[in-house]
Amino acid sequence: MNDCKETPVQFGADGSLIGIVTTPGEGSMAPVACLMLNMGANHHIGPRRINVKLARQLATRGISSIRLDLSGLGDSGPASGSEHFLTQAVYDLQAAMGLIETMLGVRRFIVIGLCSGATNGLSLAVADARVVGLLMFDSYSFPGRRTRAERMVRRALAAPTNPAFIGKLGRWLQRKLSPSAAAAAAPHIFDPDPPEVTAAAFRRSMSQVAARNLAVLLLYTGTLHVTDRNRDQLGPFANEPFMRQFEYEFIGDIDHSLTSMAAQQTFMTVVCDWVLRVTHGGPSASPQLATATERPAARAGVPRPTQAFARDALP
Amino acid sequence: MTPMLFGPASRQLFGLFHAPERDGSVALLICQPFGQEAIRAHRLFRVLADRLARGGAAVLRFDYYGTGDSPGEDIDGELEGWRRDVCSAHEELRRRAGARRIVWLGSRLGAAMAVLAAKSGRCDPSRLVLWDPIVDGARYMDTLRAGHVDALERSYCVPDPIWRRRLAKDPDAFTDELFGFGVSPTMRQQLRALAPQTLQLTALHETVMLADAEDLAAHQWAQAEAARHMPVKISPFQHPLIWTSDPHPNNAMVPTEALQRLMAEVHE
Repeated sequence: MNDCKETPVQFGADGSLIGIVTTPGEGSMAPVACLMLNMGANHHIGPRRINVKLARQLATRGISSIRLDLSGLGDSGPASGSEHFLTQAVYDLQAAMGLIETMLGVRRFIVIGLCSGATNGLSLAVADARVVGLLMFDSYSFPGRRTRAERMVRRALAAPTNPAFIGKLGRWLQRKLSPSAAAAAAPHIFDPDPPEVTAAAFRRSMSQVAARNLAVLLLYTGTLHVTDRNRDQLGPFANEPFMRQFEYEFIGDIDHSLTSMAAQQTFMTVVCDWVLRVTHGGPSASPQLATATERPAARAGVPRPTQAFARDALP
Repeated sequence: MTPMLFGPASRQLFGLFHAPERDGSVALLICQPFGQEAIRAHRLFRVLADRLARGGAAVLRFDYYGTGDSPGEDIDGELEGWRRDVCSAHEELRRRAGARRIVWLGSRLGAAMAVLAAKSGRCDPSRLVLWDPIVDGARYMDTLRAGHVDALERSYCVPDPIWRRRLAKDPDAFTDELFGFGVSPTMRQQLRALAPQTLQLTALHETVMLADAEDLAAHQWAQAEAARHMPVKISPFQHPLIWTSDPHPNNAMVPTEALQRLMAEVHE
């Protein structure tokens, strides 16, 4: 904690937003700050406290950040207006940027968007030129037929010798057979639009941020698949010209909730390295990602399959 | 609501003070659960604090050292320090709430912390509300490490069968990272030593214990305390909150029955 300073803040038009500003304890402060926001209904500390851990690690490397709760989530109060939640999220994040600008004089920002947080981050990036970087962690995903089929085959092959699949199969059957169980899963809460509407919005927004040369890292995990060949999670968008300037990384050894400490460490290493590169204008990682073998295996006790870690970054 | 850091400079804690919005005589200190359970219960306690403040109670929520937004790493957390943190939070609430009667609400491991802190004699709660208290630390740790493996298996597309084998073979497996929260050797030792006989109530305050009738360990502990003539009321209470689940829509974020019951107990 001596390496950083943390300040609880209350801000926004009516003071209803709550957050924590983390700044380097000593040394120089980078001219870019990170915004960390809610993942689903988790409050601002993030799943497994990852936002706190990441904020402190970034601070030791000179990067300031604010982790905050959007209106109506976590510790923040409800919005006073009646805006759509995506619009309100942009207002809230702009209020956070305004606060950081006032407190620290920093005017450029990188959004660390986990899951649904990436959707809000993308809305902000489209709306506000102060955003220079966007991390999208297990967010938009459009796996094609081959990708889905391979996932199913791999799971089917693993099932006979893997007792975990008994539970997975049971839950799957329950969702299929029980309307109440299917309703309880409620995936539409986080993705309320039909797939074609989501895809169109994704194309439009990503084209816009590509035109602005925004640095984007699309990061996907072993929750979605066990392998990735060619930006598989982007499906039809994988080879779109506007997507090729974004970095893409699949890490099969970590999961969506960063359940193990090793997964958290891998995540923080990847994110810190990327944030520093964006901040200091360094080169994109090579497609082979030479550092891959230097990271600890996130799934303790298991040699990491070589195909489980693949980054594709084109200049 | 006011976010703040409080406590001695060497051990600051993050807290959120909900100022009372009308006259009242009660102040509430919320002693949170540990790790994933604290994340799960966060919204419930936020709503509970809001409602109570609206009704005239002063409320302080806080994070133990090494948890939530408080300084410290995961592995800096340990029960003796957390016991002192409860007293430190009590003093902060006393400073802000004046002469009000201070009630402590402790849930899960937070209930054990509340009992230990009250026993220390360093602070003067008027009433303890213990919700689903952890009275058997060894069993709790076993439940958490099994839940950790279950969470891993649910989260990965193709889980690794080694996890479950390790869980079965090695009693220490995964005890250093319960649900992704680092646990130090000291904390593990303290959890293993946490047993019903180490949790003794005092006669200086009332205690109410809310727990499912099937939670035999909690009920037996409370009955034993009642047999020692401690002023404890035992109250069977069921609710749908799954303590270790992620805050997802398939399990109520703020179960109405829990909210109403806790509000009633604080005001009793």
